[in-house]
Amino acid sequence: MASAAGARTRVARDLKRERSAHKDRPRRRGFFAIILGVGLIGLVWLHVWLRLQVVHMGYVLSTTSKLQHRLEQENRELKIELAMMTSPDRLESLARRRLGLQQPEKGQVIVLP
Amino acid sequence: MQRTGNRLGVAKILFLGLFLVIGGRAIQLQILQGDKLMRLGERQHLKEWIVLPKRGALFDRTGEPLALSMESHSVYARPHRIHDPDKMSQALSRILNMRAAEVKEKLTAKKPFVWIRRQVSSAEAEKIQVLNAEGIGMFYEPKRYYPQGQLAGQLIGFVGRDSEGLEGVELKYNDYIRGETGSWVAQRDALGRRVLVQGVEGLHIPPGSDIHLTLDTSIQHMAEKELEASILKYRAKAGVAIVVEPFTGEVLALANYPSFDPNNYTKHSAEQRRNRAVTDSFEPGSTFKTVLAAAALEEGVVGKDDLFYCEMGKYSYAGKIIHDTHPHGWLPFSKILQVSSNIGFTKVAEKLKKDRFFRYIEKFGFGQITGIDVPGEVSGLLRRPEKWSAIDLATHAFGQGLSATPMQLVMAYAAIANGGFLMRPYVMRRAVGPAGETLLENQPHVARRVISEKTATLLSSILQDVTTEGGTGFMANVDGFDVAGKTGTAQKADPVHGGYAAKKRVASFVGFVPAHSPRLVALVLIDEPEVNVYGGVVAAPVFRNIAQGALRHLAVAPRKAAPIPAAPSRLEPLRQLVKRPTVKAADNGADATPDFVGLSLREALEKAQSLRVKVRLQGNGYVVKQTPAAGDRWHEEGVLVLSLQG
Repeated sequence: MASAAGARTRVARDLKRERSAHKDRPRRRGFFAIILGVGLIGLVWLHVWLRLQVVHMGYVLSTTSKLQHRLEQENRELKIELAMMTSPDRLESLARRRLGLQQPEKGQVIVLP
Repeated sequence: MQRTGNRLGVAKILFLGLFLVIGGRAIQLQILQGDKLMRLGERQHLKEWIVLPKRGALFDRTGEPLALSMESHSVYARPHRIHDPDKMSQALSRILNMRAAEVKEKLTAKKPFVWIRRQVSSAEAEKIQVLNAEGIGMFYEPKRYYPQGQLAGQLIGFVGRDSEGLEGVELKYNDYIRGETGSWVAQRDALGRRVLVQGVEGLHIPPGSDIHLTLDTSIQHMAEKELEASILKYRAKAGVAIVVEPFTGEVLALANYPSFDPNNYTKHSAEQRRNRAVTDSFEPGSTFKTVLAAAALEEGVVGKDDLFYCEMGKYSYAGKIIHDTHPHGWLPFSKILQVSSNIGFTKVAEKLKKDRFFRYIEKFGFGQITGIDVPGEVSGLLRRPEKWSAIDLATHAFGQGLSATPMQLVMAYAAIANGGFLMRPYVMRRAVGPAGETLLENQPHVARRVISEKTATLLSSILQDVTTEGGTGFMANVDGFDVAGKTGTAQKADPVHGGYAAKKRVASFVGFVPAHSPRLVALVLIDEPEVNVYGGVVAAPVFRNIAQGALRHLAVAPRKAAPIPAAPSRLEPLRQLVKRPTVKAADNGADATPDFVGLSLREALEKAQSLRVKVRLQGNGYVVKQTPAAGDRWHEEGVLVLSLQG
């Protein structure tokens, strides 16, 4: 007798649990849909943000590359100017005209063997 | 319930229809017209930038730049887009310093594209940019600069506007120096600005290689300066000076006159741009006697002290009369080279015979190109002995009847200087790629052994006598060093009347120094000097000055130490460090000794008379030395001692 009553009670408890589980399912589904939606929107935003960052870095790179190019050009200009300034022809004429220097005379240059 | 179901059905069909329409359109855009639309889109936001080749630089052996490239702007117009050609031509002509009419003609041309001016300066480019005019634009173009100006112009060569080497080293090594043409694609925004979303790796187009030459800028400068001074002094037409390292064949200097500035190559004629050291051949004259001397010594036909009778200046050979400048009787072999006797050398050639002589001429590299790495080299004219007439043996003996380039001659002397090896000359040491890697390197290359070391040493000692007192090359003597060399005064062929021109000569000197352990071989060749024609007077002093400067530059210790001048007192500041107030006076000739070197006896006496200078004469011929030297302080009551020779 006692065992038949216990079995009924268990069945009733299972039925109750099943009913409450049926009630929770749509709520969970809604929750997951919201999470999914937010996630998707987040991904889209992330993609857009990354894309904007790439474009922004593209501009930065472009500006830096132009600056590098300009500096290289300036460097080349300075090299040419330096070479012109130190050409033997110019140095000799400056030494002779402005400083009054002349070729060393016999014995003034001593090369150590 | 039934109505609701119908409405839902209609909505479903509607949405399905819409979905099908959108899907269909997507298929049309993405698949059917995808490629075409993608191209159209890319055209709007992608742009291809063409990168012109970036030429490598040229350097001398010490790293001094000889040629560098820079980007410059070239201005163009698209005439159909210009609304007011009058106003625009005025503005452009002001900026570019051109005639307004010329600019207007270009702006109104019926062409879609015209160049206004190529390779403008940065200042001009900036002004054009500020103008910001519709229909006017600028392209980047590389421009070549030669910072040393005319220094070694003919050897370096030049490039055209399209950055292609046209002459000299620029042409010879164009494939290495040029660099690659390339392009890169980048996105651009609505304003046309570049957006490098793909990074910068794609932007790198490898530039051309740098070329390091064997030239030494300082020695080159000395050679050019001394050559020019002599040419102006003796009113010559042209000249060449070459300095070579005898053991490697490296060319240290290669000077040409008239000079040529590659920065303005369009302003110079082809005549001026020619590298005469390799493109022109001359009859070498007496400098060629050394080749016969080497052959005769090597074959054991003559000994240093063998005597030859020089017929007192006149010798009948093969129906012709051969003359010497001065009459000589019996002379040892070494002496006939010292006084450069044509008759003596004719007799040496008779003993050697033409076939053996010809074999040595060829062994020394005459009649064939030296293989130097500059374009336009000629081989000179050398006939085979079967084609020689009877007199040709004699004329070849003193360097007439054949022609050689200055480079062939200097390399033949280098063979004597280095102990008997004929070297291949070269001007390029190495080509260095953009990453610093060596792409090409020239190493010393022995073409062949020409004479034994013993013969070379013996010949060197004989050639030293030429530059001592009494020798024709006395003026090539460098203080503190033994010089071995030979003078040459060759007649020039007359292409119009045939035979030789009455007055045209080629004066030359070739030699090496120090004679015992040579550091450099140099040749000086002066074409058609007017004031004096002798190699010993015109070319030998140029050799001396170049060698003196070059040896000092290379820090070669003299064998004989020159006397050290007394130390300056505290009251007398060092001469080199103070301005010399006498310089101007000396230039004006007020208290400076006038220059008599190179003048004939008659000219020297005339000049002395006109300047009221008392002179004492020693010897006969041409003035080779004067005391006090030209430019030194002169006292009116003093006597000028002139030593004459030749």
